[in-house]
Amino acid sequence: MNLPLVSACFLAFALTLYVILDGFDLGVGILLLFQSETAFREHMVDSITPTWDGNETWIIMAGVTLLGAFPLAYSILLPAFYLPIILMLLALGFRGVSFEFRVQSKQHRHRWDVAFAVGSLVAAFMQGLVLGGLMQGVKVQNQHFAGSVLDVVHSLPIISGIALPFGYAVLGGGWLKLKSNLLLQTFANRSIRVSAPFFAILFGIACIYAVKIQPSIHSKWASHGITLACLVSLFVIASGILTTISEKARPALPFLLGLSLFVLGISGIALIAFPDIVPFSVTLWEAASSSTSQTLVLVGAAFVTPVVLAYSALAYWIFRGKTPEQGWEA
Amino acid sequence: MKLNPSLLARIQFAFTVSFHIIFPTMSIGLASFLAVIEALWLKTKKPVYLEIYKFWLSIFAMGFGIGVVTGIVLSFEFGLGFARFAQMAGPAIGPLIALEVLTAFFLEAGFLGIMLFGLHRVGPKLHFFATCMVAIGTLLSASWILSANSWMQTPAGVAIHDGHLTVLSWRHVLVNPSWLYRLPHMLTAAYLTASFMVAGVGAWYLLKGKHQHFARRTLTLGTAFGTVLIAGQVFIGDILYGTMLKYQPSKMQAAEGFWETQSQSPAPYYWFIVPDQDNQRNRFQLGIPYLGSIWLTHSLEGRVQGLRNTPRDLQPRMGLVFYAFRIMYGLAMVMFAVGVASLWLRFRGKLFSSRWFLWILVFMTPSGIIATLAGWYVAETGRQPWVIYGILRTVDAVSPVPAQALLSTLIAFVCVYAVFITAFLVFSFRIIRRGPDEVPPYAEASGSVKNAFRPYVLDSPERLVNSNITLRS
Repeated sequence: MNLPLVSACFLAFALTLYVILDGFDLGVGILLLFQSETAFREHMVDSITPTWDGNETWIIMAGVTLLGAFPLAYSILLPAFYLPIILMLLALGFRGVSFEFRVQSKQHRHRWDVAFAVGSLVAAFMQGLVLGGLMQGVKVQNQHFAGSVLDVVHSLPIISGIALPFGYAVLGGGWLKLKSNLLLQTFANRSIRVSAPFFAILFGIACIYAVKIQPSIHSKWASHGITLACLVSLFVIASGILTTISEKARPALPFLLGLSLFVLGISGIALIAFPDIVPFSVTLWEAASSSTSQTLVLVGAAFVTPVVLAYSALAYWIFRGKTPEQGWEA
Repeated sequence: MKLNPSLLARIQFAFTVSFHIIFPTMSIGLASFLAVIEALWLKTKKPVYLEIYKFWLSIFAMGFGIGVVTGIVLSFEFGLGFARFAQMAGPAIGPLIALEVLTAFFLEAGFLGIMLFGLHRVGPKLHFFATCMVAIGTLLSASWILSANSWMQTPAGVAIHDGHLTVLSWRHVLVNPSWLYRLPHMLTAAYLTASFMVAGVGAWYLLKGKHQHFARRTLTLGTAFGTVLIAGQVFIGDILYGTMLKYQPSKMQAAEGFWETQSQSPAPYYWFIVPDQDNQRNRFQLGIPYLGSIWLTHSLEGRVQGLRNTPRDLQPRMGLVFYAFRIMYGLAMVMFAVGVASLWLRFRGKLFSSRWFLWILVFMTPSGIIATLAGWYVAETGRQPWVIYGILRTVDAVSPVPAQALLSTLIAFVCVYAVFITAFLVFSFRIIRRGPDEVPPYAEASGSVKNAFRPYVLDSPERLVNSNITLRS
């Protein structure tokens, strides 16, 4: 069996779940910036409080799968994205502790809400920066990262960094439409209608720019043109519907369309990057650890992931339906 | 000024990991404590146990949150600061940490929401189950991470060919020589930490004459657990000492403060030294005669091996290891004395009225955390100059990241973590000052806890708000 390929699939699975699940948490956080009513902010945070921790855990899953199954890629990519990753971790830290601290702080709750929102925004921007940096390609010499830590301060990563928060805002808006009470529905709809076109256009610019500056992506378009074109057209259709979403749309529709945007985007990126794990310099097989290490990760994943998914679903089911206005404890 | 990237990477890792370990130590201990309390509540239906649960849950939730967000940092920091280490050790410790995430982190995260917010939705039985799952998650997490760290201390089960490491036997990696003793040592440390925290807060209320019922119950539980645990810890520590002496003699040589290949006989037990690493001697030393021979060799005249047995370039810094060990060991002895005193006072019926003892308990509130941190300093500084003992040196493991980047992120970490710890302490003190919330009596009066919550689940939120049974104070 081709173990590195299976490990890479599990890695992609964990990363996709992270992007989708923490995506709407971060999106809700970003949207806090545009909500001036304290009671509404309260309601928005309540809608993600019981399940955020599990959502965020998927990024650790992805990180340590990379460490265990592709140690060479881990040791190249982390120094390469040293600055955006550390800033992302600090921002996620602010976001995470704000869940607890804002409950404790009665007078200064709005300050923790700012920390929450800015933390979410910065984390999303840094993730976009890393994505752009990957599309730009990573310099490797002699199995070491050979570029500069400032390589991410270029047009492509910055455009992609600005695009991603809009994408997360689409997901966050969709989540709020699903979970929030009537009064917040207008806010949720407006967030989706505004964020979706910005995300689609900025992401589109980033893609075109990437084709221009990275010959490997250009050649991928030559060889997989039709598949990629299909993904792009579906992406355009989904974002078009989101841009014109009406108040009467089914509550789940925008959220599902938002998810499809991300699944399409991730599929396209995976298709372009394959078979490299460090884009355009190291392949999956070159970076893979020995088969004993791959086997342990995969056996663990095969047995435990279904259980994890089951009780995560249980947690979502327990907190199903509209978020109560008084919070979950009431 | 010339900045040294390797030193900066080490300081950054040491700072972030030291900060992090404070919170899991509390969460491991408090999660099990909360499970015990909820079990007692379900069994006896006494409202005081619900009060205790609610009170400590608030502090647990904050600590757990900080533990989560500072822990994520570590799972990336192996590569951020120590890329060569990650590349080499990844095949061995990566799968262990992946299993930790799968079996422990998800379990904790999945049930934490139910534990914090789900009592009214799922009823007390499933809620108790959730508390137990969180507690088990913290235990599993500790076992995996201790396994990975113990492998770095006493590596086994691997082969190395031109810089690439291959795992030959997972059993040997997982059950490496030091794991079996280091795991119970850490778990007991975490439980001791929680016991002294719980007892300390109870003692504070007794001194202030507030919340008597709550205070007596928590003080009783805290000192009882603390006494049993510290007795066990002394025993486990002694076995671990022997194991490390066998597998990492340089660490224990540094911990005792002797330089000579063979100390004088009988050997004293040093409490204060001024080591001079360059000249391989102590400038000053102060100890208790005979005690070194008795404690370390279990004989009256035994000699103790000094650090000169280890080649100079493979020695850890004696000062760090020695004082970290003294702090841990010293605190353990004070804890032992407190445990014995609590037994005596309980026997005399004066446990709740001896003000001097209550004050000692108040000062001992953070003792478990300090001792645990000191213990980790012994483990980690004593392993130097190796990052994987005998296989890879720390200086060779550092990432190709410029010193300026390392310095600026170190400053950022210090500033952000300072905000976290300040907020945690301010809010914890506020919770303690406010005291536990009174639980309305009808939870008991209705006869069944189930009936106390179930009928109000979804249909009438106002009644619940009035009834004031919110979980977190």
